[in-house]
Amino acid sequence: MTQKELNNERLATEAKQKELQFFTRRHFLKESAMGFGALALGSLLGSCGNNMGMASSPVFDAAHPLAPRMPFFPAKARSVIYLHMAGAPSQLELFDYKPELAKLNGQDCPPSLLEGKKFAFIRGVPKMLGPQANFKQHGKSGLWVSDYLPHFSTIVDDVSIIKSVTTDQFNHAPAQLLMHTGSARLGRPSIGSWVTYGLGTENQNLPGFVVLTSGGNNPDAGKSVWGSGFLPSVYQGVQCRSEGDPVLFINDPQGMDRDLRKASIDAINKVNQEQYKEFNDPEILSRISQYEMAYKMQISVPEVMNINDEPEYIREMYGAQPGKGSFANNVLLARKLVEKGVRFVQLFDWGWDTHGTSADGAVDIGLINKCRQVDKAMTALILDLKQRGLLDETLVIWGGEFGRTPMQENRDGKEMPFKGRDHHAEAFSMWMAGGGIKGGTTYGETDEIGYSITSGKTEAFDIQATILNQLGFDHEKFTYDFQGRPFRLTDVSGKVITDILA
Amino acid sequence: MVLTVSEFLGRFHPVLVHLPIGILLMAAVFYVLSLREQYKALHQATTVALLLGMLSAIGSSISGYLLSISGDYEADMVSTHKWMGFAVAAVAVVSYFLHTKKNNAVKWTIGLMTLLIFITGHTGGSLTHGSDYLTKSITTPAAKTERKPIANVQEAVVYKDVVQPILEEKCYSCHNAAKQKGKLRLDGPEWISKGGKQGEVVISRNADESELIKRLLLPKQHEDHMPPKEKPQLNEKEIALLHWWINSGLSFDKKVKDLAQPEKIKPLLLSLQSAVSNEIKTKPQIPDAAVEQADAAAIKKLTDRGVVVLPVAQNSNYLLVNFVTVQGLSEGDIKLLLSVKKQLVWVKFANQPVNDAMLAILAECKAITRLDISYTKITDKGFVHLQQLPKLQTLNLVGTAVTTNGLMQLKNNQNLQAVYIYQSAVPKKDYAALKTALPKTTIDTGGYTVPMLQSDTTVFTKPKA
Repeated sequence: MTQKELNNERLATEAKQKELQFFTRRHFLKESAMGFGALALGSLLGSCGNNMGMASSPVFDAAHPLAPRMPFFPAKARSVIYLHMAGAPSQLELFDYKPELAKLNGQDCPPSLLEGKKFAFIRGVPKMLGPQANFKQHGKSGLWVSDYLPHFSTIVDDVSIIKSVTTDQFNHAPAQLLMHTGSARLGRPSIGSWVTYGLGTENQNLPGFVVLTSGGNNPDAGKSVWGSGFLPSVYQGVQCRSEGDPVLFINDPQGMDRDLRKASIDAINKVNQEQYKEFNDPEILSRISQYEMAYKMQISVPEVMNINDEPEYIREMYGAQPGKGSFANNVLLARKLVEKGVRFVQLFDWGWDTHGTSADGAVDIGLINKCRQVDKAMTALILDLKQRGLLDETLVIWGGEFGRTPMQENRDGKEMPFKGRDHHAEAFSMWMAGGGIKGGTTYGETDEIGYSITSGKTEAFDIQATILNQLGFDHEKFTYDFQGRPFRLTDVSGKVITDILA
Repeated sequence: MVLTVSEFLGRFHPVLVHLPIGILLMAAVFYVLSLREQYKALHQATTVALLLGMLSAIGSSISGYLLSISGDYEADMVSTHKWMGFAVAAVAVVSYFLHTKKNNAVKWTIGLMTLLIFITGHTGGSLTHGSDYLTKSITTPAAKTERKPIANVQEAVVYKDVVQPILEEKCYSCHNAAKQKGKLRLDGPEWISKGGKQGEVVISRNADESELIKRLLLPKQHEDHMPPKEKPQLNEKEIALLHWWINSGLSFDKKVKDLAQPEKIKPLLLSLQSAVSNEIKTKPQIPDAAVEQADAAAIKKLTDRGVVVLPVAQNSNYLLVNFVTVQGLSEGDIKLLLSVKKQLVWVKFANQPVNDAMLAILAECKAITRLDISYTKITDKGFVHLQQLPKLQTLNLVGTAVTTNGLMQLKNNQNLQAVYIYQSAVPKKDYAALKTALPKTTIDTGGYTVPMLQSDTTVFTKPKA
C-alpha cells in the first residue's frame, strides 16, 4: 500500500468513526438533556409573547442573511453614512453660538453649575472659557456656524443642526457605545448591524455594513461600536482600510489562481451542503453563503475601494489623496460605497478630545487643525451626493459622543498650558442631512452659556429612532428576540425628532 | 379627606365577597352530593358550609352597603347588585334553617341561591371592571376605539379631537357613567363642567387653579394625585394640552385654529397629526391607490437574473427594483419588468448599458415615480418614451449623453419634481432656458466645487493672533 492509500484509508476510518459518534448513547443523552431543557424553556418563554403589531421584525434567513428586505413602511433613506468624530468635538467652537459666554470668559464658574455634578477632569472651581471661534450666520436659513468650518458654512441650507443632544455618559467608550448601540455597556448590536439585519443590502457583492477609520486610532470603545452584539455575526461592520489592501488577505496568495480558488470554495461548499443535509443547521447555510460572498468580494471590494479611478476634480473637491488613511479619502469611499448599494457606512475620525493638555488638544489650536481635516471633505460629500441625485435617499449624520464644558479644564485643579474643555455630557450638537431631513433647520436650544438644554432635549435613542424612521422602521416594533425577550435598538426610550423631517 | 369608619369598612367589600361565593357554592355542591348514598357523610358538612356561607354573605352585604353609600358607582347598577346581594344573604339564611330542619324544600332554596350568586357576581364584576368586561375581547378585537388620524390639526375640533382622546384613554375608566369616582364624570362636556363631589374641577381660563390640572401635577406619591399611581399616567404633552385647553376658555366646539396658540403648544399640536404612528410626515413617492400583489413567478424570474426586487414596504405591494449587480443586461431583462408593471414604482439602472430601445419597453410601466438611469447609454431619442411616464417625480440623468433638446420634451411630465443632469451633455448656457421651460421642476445641474482656501493648508501650532 502506498502512503497515499494509507492516508486515504485512515481518513475514511476517521470519518466513519466521527459519524458513528452521533449514534452513541452518550451523544443521545447529552443532546437530549440539553434539547429537552431548551424545548421546555422555549415554550415557557414563548408565552411572554411577541410584539403583536401589523409590522413584524424580519426573520433571520441563514441562507441569505444579507438579501435585501423591505422595511415596515416606505422609507425616505436607503443608505446611511454616519460620520463620528471620536473624542467629542466642542459644540461651543462650532455650532452653538454663545455670546454671553464670551462676557464671562476668565471668571470663576458659579457654584450652581458645579453642585452635584461630576466631571471627568475638572476639579475645584474652574474658570469660564468664552468661545474661541468667531461665529456668523450663513445661508438663506441664517444658521450660526463658526469660522472653524468655512466650507461647511456654505451648505447649511442642506443640513439640520441639532443643538440639544444629551447623554448620561461622560467617558468616551461608554458614551460611544450608547450612541451606537443604545447601551453604555458592551454586548448590544450597533445601529449598522440593526439596519443590515432589518434591510439586508442591495449589492450582494459587497458587505452591507462597512466601517472606515481615520485619525490614527480606533475609537475608544473599540470594535464593539460596530459589533453585531446578539444579532448573527454576519451583521457586524466590516472594517476596511483606506491604505494598502482594503481588507487584509483579500488577494489570493502566490501560486493560487482564481480558478483554483473557485474550485476549492466549491469543494468546501459541497462538503458543507452534505453536512447541512445531515444536520439541518442553518448556520451551515450561512457559512456557505459567506464563502461565496467572500469570493465575489475579492474582485468587487478592491474595485470599489480604489479612489484612483475617480476624476482628479472630484478628489480635489474632497481633498482626498490616494494612499493615505485620511478622513477625506474615507468620505470619498463612503460615497462610492453608497453609490454601489452598500446599506450603512460608518466612519470614525479620532482626535477630537480637546482637553488643553497639549497644543493638539487645544480648542484654539488643535481643534482648528482637526476641523480643517474634515471640513472640506464633509462639505464635498453633501454636495457630491446632491449632484448625483443620491442625497435624497442617503441619510448623513455627523456628531461626537458628548460635548465639551463651557468651563476651561483645570486638570487636578491646576491651570493648564493650553485652552481646553472637559467632557460635557449634558449638551452638545450634531447635524443630519439628506434622506428626508429638512435642510436649513436647527432643533433644540441650550441656555446662554451652552451648559444645559432649555428645549428639544434629544437623547441618543432619539437620534437612533430618527435614523430607523428614515429607513422605514418603527423603532418600537423593530425587535430581535434574545434571552427570552424582544430587544430594541432604542431599548425603552426614543422618539422620532419629527421637527427636522422634511 | 377624612375616611369615616363606615367608608373604611366598606372598602373590605371587594375582599369579603369572595367568601360567600366560594363557601355557598361549595355548600350547594356538597348538598347535591350528599343526596347520594356514597356521599351521605357530606350532609353534616353541608350544614357547616351553609352556616359559614350565610355569615359571610351577611358580612359582605353590610360592607357592600357601606361601600355603595360612598356613591362612586352608577346608581342603577349598584342598586341591582345591592338587592341581589341582600337576596343571596336572605336565601342563604333560609337554606341554613331549612337544612338543619331536614326540610326537603331546601333543594329549591339552594338552587335559587346558586342562581342569585351568579347574577350578583356578574353585576359586581361589571361595576368594578366595566359592563363590557366579560365580552370585550370577543366582540371588539381592538380594546380602544380606533381614531382617525388627524390630517390637519388646525382644522380639528379642540375638545373632540385633542382633549377627549386624552380623557378617554387616561380618565374614563374611573370617571364614566358606570363608575363615578369622587362623583365625577369626565365623559361628556356637561359632566366635565358640573364637576364632582368637591365641586368644579375646571375653571375656564384659570388652569393653574383648576382641580383637574392641580391633581395631575401633584407628586405621584401624593394621595390625591390623579390618575392613581398604579394606573397609566398622563405624559407632559397631554397635561400641557389640557392646560392650554382650559386656559383658552374651555371650548367644547371651537376648532384648534380659533384658539390662541403659544409657541410651546404649537409643536405639541403638530405632533398630533402623526400621533397615530411613528411614521414619517412627508409622503414617499408611492401612489395612494392600493395595488394587488405582484406575480410571484415574475419576481422570481427577475431575482434569478440578479435583480433586486422587493416591495417598498411591508404594508405595500408597490415594488422597487435595482439592477446594481446585474451582468450582461439585455432587452429581455427589461421585458421581465412588464409582468410587474402595475406595481413598479422605484427603478434603478445606474451604470447599466440601458439604451433608448429599452426605455421604449420601460415606457409601459406607467406607475414609475423614481427612475435612475444615470451613467447609461440613453440619448435624446429616449425622451419620447420618458414622456409616457405620467407619474414620474424624480429622474436621474447624471452622466448621460442627453442634451437640452431631450430635456425640453419633459414639459408634459406634470408630476416631475426633480431632474439631475450633472455630467450630461447639457451646456451651461442652456440652464436658464431649461429652468423657464420646466418651472415646476428642480433641475440639479451639479458641478459643485469646494474651493481650496488658504486656511485649508495652514497648520496651527499656536493660537491665531
